Amino acid sequence: MKKYLQLVNFEFNRIVKLFTVLLGITFVAQMIGVVVQSRSYLNLANEKMYKEMMPQAEFLESFGQMSFLQIAKSSWFFGPIALCVAGVAFYIFFIWYRDWIGKNTFIYRLLMLPTSRLNIFFAKITTILLMTFGFVAVQLIMIPIEIMVLKAMVPNEFRLDMGVMEVVTIIPELTLIFPSSFMQFIFHYGLGLLAVSVLFTGILFERSFKWKGILAGLLYGALAVVVLLLPLLLHEFVLNNFFYPIELLVLEIIMGLLVLSASIWVSGFLLKKKVTV
Amino acid sequence: MNVNFNNRDPVYQQIVRYFKEQIAIGEIKPGEEIPSRRELANRMKVNPNTAQRAYKEMEEQGLIYTEKNHPSKITTDNEILGQVRTELLVEAVDQFVTSVRSINVPVEELLDMVKEKYTENSEKEV
Amino acid sequence: MIEVKEIEKRYGRKKILKGVSFTAEKGEITCLIGINGVGKTTILKAIMALTPLHKGQILIDGKPIDKHSFEKITFIPDSLTMLPNMTINEAMEFMKDFYTCWNQKRANELLGFFRLEPSSRISSLSKGNTAKVNLLLGLALDVDYVLMDEPFSGIDMFSREEIANVFTSHLIENRGVIITTHEIGDIEHLLDKVVLLDDGLVTKEFSAEAARENEGKSVIDVMREVYQK
Repeated sequence: MKKYLQLVNFEFNRIVKLFTVLLGITFVAQMIGVVVQSRSYLNLANEKMYKEMMPQAEFLESFGQMSFLQIAKSSWFFGPIALCVAGVAFYIFFIWYRDWIGKNTFIYRLLMLPTSRLNIFFAKITTILLMTFGFVAVQLIMIPIEIMVLKAMVPNEFRLDMGVMEVVTIIPELTLIFPSSFMQFIFHYGLGLLAVSVLFTGILFERSFKWKGILAGLLYGALAVVVLLLPLLLHEFVLNNFFYPIELLVLEIIMGLLVLSASIWVSGFLLKKKVTV
Repeated sequence: MNVNFNNRDPVYQQIVRYFKEQIAIGEIKPGEEIPSRRELANRMKVNPNTAQRAYKEMEEQGLIYTEKNHPSKITTDNEILGQVRTELLVEAVDQFVTSVRSINVPVEELLDMVKEKYTENSEKEV
Repeated sequence: MIEVKEIEKRYGRKKILKGVSFTAEKGEITCLIGINGVGKTTILKAIMALTPLHKGQILIDGKPIDKHSFEKITFIPDSLTMLPNMTINEAMEFMKDFYTCWNQKRANELLGFFRLEPSSRISSLSKGNTAKVNLLLGLALDVDYVLMDEPFSGIDMFSREEIANVFTSHLIENRGVIITTHEIGDIEHLLDKVVLLDDGLVTKEFSAEAARENEGKSVIDVMREVYQK
């Protein structure tokens, strides 16, 4: 356990700089977004009301009030989120390959540590999880701050105030990362964890068998998807909608756990017996 | 301790030989303490196992003796010391005779040459 | 004792190791010799489970390798086993954190021996000094067995001497050492056992001193005989 935690600490420290930079970019870009969008709305209002002499009520009818929605839909808001997602997606692969490529042969050291090699797997997947949760948590903290800035910039009458919860539930893309119920949370992030574990297994296949490994990895991924979808497929096409929803859910959870355990087991096996430096 | 090892004779034997030479020319005195095996390996830049073997050989030949918990010392036994000198001299003579035998010169002439060279060199040193 | 038993390995279609067997004793320096590409590095990696074998078995003190073995045996490859952007101090901290057999006193001694500045960043070091850092990271562990892959390759002559001095010091004493090299010139007189490899097999396994004593041959003489058959 201790070695695992030490490894997590080590792995996280390796990426903490990039992580902080991405957070910084997100904060700055989203803030700029709040300012820019507010300004553009206010400019529009000014133009319509003072240049074209439109009455306030008409303006508000035609163009509506400013809400956080406008900000959340802009690229200033979504751009950095996409960047962070891309960063994590990239790092899912790079967290392994960085130890193998070029002059870096740190993988020797990792594989020669007096601890189960599975801890390397666990530490890396934990790091990905921490990064993800980190981004999500910080985003959640940023939203109220951004709302405050919006409130400061746009006068009351022109604003439609939304609370953090509202923001997070109304915008469909955000509900992916901020699920509304505990069950959904488990579902989304559990699926994410599963996906990463299957990807890791694929990477380890490649590191063990090269080209044949890529094939094996893809096959493994396909198999994992099939197993996961099995209850649903059976339910729809074979068993004539036999299961109650709650039963389907339980079956899916079981399948999910199955695929997760299989990924962990196969990864462990590859790390201990098949991987080559 | 500057020893140039050749790679064809067992290294441990070369070490033993080195000690014999040092004793014969008086650089190492009888009863003198010699470095530990480990230190010797370090100084001579040899494998510690080799140093160990050399020490064993020297003990067996009576060249050194080791009292419990004390560093090894060169023997003070005059008979053995005399043997060492003789051994080295005999070896040198052997080598000399072998190399000049084929040139077929009478012994007296050889001895005169040896005497000449020997005294010449001693004078040089003085 | 490290026992390598009939190990076989293929890279794709090519069979690199065709049944290699030899032993390396604790307290002895064993040298694997062979031309480049014969599989010396592969053997060392296989001992450390860094590459899989198709057949055969490797035992360390009678047992196959497991996670605990890494406190008893270490491998010093010819590439760096630490992150290059770390300082030497950070590298040592890392080792201390993960290995109970890390000996900081010995590490400090090696720092002095190799004249390395602990606060320097590894990426800024010369090739010779990087090799010395690598050696330090391996030798400062209180392990029974040390495997070194081409410790002298690409190193300047003076660094080579420094590294060779390690073999005659207490830093190696009582440990089992396996080194690989394709040029034994400087270190012939240091070897206890020699294992000659050719075409995937051990062509001869012998004691260097025995060859000298019994046949009057240097290791290079034996090599010449064997490789010119």
